[in-house]
Amino acid sequence: MVFLLVLGFEAWGQTLHRGLGPEPDSLDIHTAQGLNSINVLRDLHEGLVTFDGKARIIPGVASEWELDDDGRTWRFKLDPQARWSDGSRVTGKDFVRGWHRALDPITGAPYAAMLDGVENARAVREGDKQPGELGIEVLSDGRLEIRLETDMPWFTELLTHPVTFPLPEGENADERRRFNGPFVLAEHRPGSHLRLKANKSWRLADEVRLDEVIWHPIEDPVVEMNRYRAGELHITETIPPGRKQWLRERFGDELRISPYLGSFFLGYNLSREPFENRPKLREALSLVVDRQLIAERVIGAGEVPAWRLVPPGMEGWPDRPGPGQELDTEQRLDRARKLYQEAGYGPGNPLQLELRYNTTLTHRRMAAAVAALWKQHLGVETRLVNEEWKVFVVNRRQGRLTQVMRGGWIADWADPANFLQLFVSDSPLNYTFFSDETFDDLMDRAAASQGEERMELLFDAEEQLLESHAIIPLYYYVSRHLVRSDVDGFEDNLMDVHLSRWMGVGNEP
Amino acid sequence: MLKFTIKRLAWAIPTLFFLITLAFFLIRIAPGGPFDSERALPPEIEANLAAKYHLDEPLIAQYGRYLAQIARLDFGPSFHYRDWTVNDLIAQGAPVSFTLGILALVLAMGLGILAGALAALKQNSAADYSVMSFSMIGISIPNFVMAPLLILVFALTLGWLPAGGWDGSISRMILPVITLALPMVAYIARITRGSMIEVLHSSFIRTARAKGMPEREVLMRHALKPALLPVISYLGPATAAVLTGSVVVEKIFTIPGIGSYFVQGALNRDYTLVMGVVIFYGMLIILLNFIVDLVYAWLDPRIRYDDGALVSPT
Repeated sequence: MVFLLVLGFEAWGQTLHRGLGPEPDSLDIHTAQGLNSINVLRDLHEGLVTFDGKARIIPGVASEWELDDDGRTWRFKLDPQARWSDGSRVTGKDFVRGWHRALDPITGAPYAAMLDGVENARAVREGDKQPGELGIEVLSDGRLEIRLETDMPWFTELLTHPVTFPLPEGENADERRRFNGPFVLAEHRPGSHLRLKANKSWRLADEVRLDEVIWHPIEDPVVEMNRYRAGELHITETIPPGRKQWLRERFGDELRISPYLGSFFLGYNLSREPFENRPKLREALSLVVDRQLIAERVIGAGEVPAWRLVPPGMEGWPDRPGPGQELDTEQRLDRARKLYQEAGYGPGNPLQLELRYNTTLTHRRMAAAVAALWKQHLGVETRLVNEEWKVFVVNRRQGRLTQVMRGGWIADWADPANFLQLFVSDSPLNYTFFSDETFDDLMDRAAASQGEERMELLFDAEEQLLESHAIIPLYYYVSRHLVRSDVDGFEDNLMDVHLSRWMGVGNEP
Repeated sequence: MLKFTIKRLAWAIPTLFFLITLAFFLIRIAPGGPFDSERALPPEIEANLAAKYHLDEPLIAQYGRYLAQIARLDFGPSFHYRDWTVNDLIAQGAPVSFTLGILALVLAMGLGILAGALAALKQNSAADYSVMSFSMIGISIPNFVMAPLLILVFALTLGWLPAGGWDGSISRMILPVITLALPMVAYIARITRGSMIEVLHSSFIRTARAKGMPEREVLMRHALKPALLPVISYLGPATAAVLTGSVVVEKIFTIPGIGSYFVQGALNRDYTLVMGVVIFYGMLIILLNFIVDLVYAWLDPRIRYDDGALVSPT
């Protein structure tokens, strides 16, 4: 009887079932790494600022903030209503504690370097300075002051990232098991589900319509789609590749495909044969790759053909064609053949190269199509090499074996520099080994400037990268979900973040 | 008998030790480490992580550390699922895998032995042929085909059962249990049929019949027991395999068992998790093989364990 009552009661509340992708690697704000983990953390915790449904920055724990005239000192007034799930106040000290732990070498926080740019952050992270010297401080009036070493135009965006979130007092994970976000974690069964319940202590608890959010870790998109079809999920994390048409026919408006700040490209290894110092050859290979064909026919989940690295859509970022984009197919092929010959290759002496990618069905199809286009138009002989993920990333980083390899980037925040940082000479992310003084200089100058001027400099840097043909842009990612028609408050956005707090659901699935 | 038991258990230790050593070094040979990802970490952070998990020590020191640790039955923290220890993950996943595995086993044994015995009794009849064709199908359709097929029919088309997930309810167990059990049913049916036919032609059955023993008694008391011996030897490793979960079944039905940790752990270079499940699986196999030997003796009075060695008939 009690059991029935409990069940009956549960059915009254609103429960949202969401696909999550893989099991989260961690739900610790500092050690979490995967985007899926971060999605859950954004339901459980809140930073100084947060996202609205369209991924625009809105107040979070901070109700208002100001930037000093020096452009580097931020002051945040904290919302007195901000509470931990045990009812205690979220204070500036909680942020200081969190940032200290993020930078503590013992924590091993993968995203700690995101705080570089905050006064002394890097020195603290490397153990050269004491945490007390970090540029974050609680002022006498309770406001939180953060001092930067350089301009960081994306600073407020950064504050939506879990690595910047406040940390409650406590010696270990159990003692710290408190949440300051719209939901609390009620149950976590690895591989099965995470049950989140509405946080009654949250500052805007009245505005949350859902009583429960259940995140289901499901790795395989086909499995996820089946569970959606069976009515067990309201929102999927993704869709199976190559089936857009079928899904559109079957699900109509429930299929939500929308631009996303992610870019997929092939990178050349510029540190060794055959592409070192051969921009013409690199351009030739780039020109013959039919982006339309790759994006629409080969990948086919709504991806947008790309001729540039940085996806369009960010505020202040010009939408201009990339090198070669404005030529028609004939012109492209003519130019490509000419460049290819100039590089010393031809029917009697074809270029032989290797294209390396990590093993997934989508990548295999992409690689085969690219190799076929190279063969058809230039006679290039391509060896396809697929590797298991970890082997691939290590080989790509070392650059001893790679020639052309699969590359890509998903933005941490909406800022073009986040993509371009991959190609700065000394960046640990630079697996093309692109090293160009003009580019580095433009990036440095952009870092020291603001607004429109900064965007122009970044754009010039991107031009420099593209004109050097260090990469072959292929397509921009899209976010893709199946969203049931009875879910409301799910809005497509460039960052593909959808906090559960904005959502409501008609009835049980 | 006691001597046999002690001897077997004593052998388990070097076997496990060998297994642990082999697995430990094999997984370390694989290129890439637990913290390699799309986003290469700044070198200082990578060094911090390595130090935290003692990955910066010489391999042999890590091996020694690991042996000392598992001697206390502590499998250590998972490198990938950083909020969990391997013990946590196995403790949460194993009951799920066990539940599924045991249900599948019971179903497979019940159906398989029944079908196999029937086929043997009615050798070359229509019943025999249909049992054998069915089991051929059961063996040859892989579970990654069977599972989606079952989902398509029973979850998506008919809507009778959920498409996956796990909450301990019967309805969510039915499809995965069937998927797991089908190939076993088929194997068991075929093995039972074969050995049953052989037993039915042996002289002691003829004697029993000649004594005027009722046919039912002949079958149940004299024929079935020895006919099950090959089934039992099949069941030893099969049980270990099915209890530790099936990667495919767990993936397709999103079941939180330990089967997927084998693959996921290896792909993530989650050294401790891989070691944990390997050792767990190894211990289970050793235990089950031991049980199989005991059951043998019980089923066939001619088998006795003298001086710690198995003395088999023939």
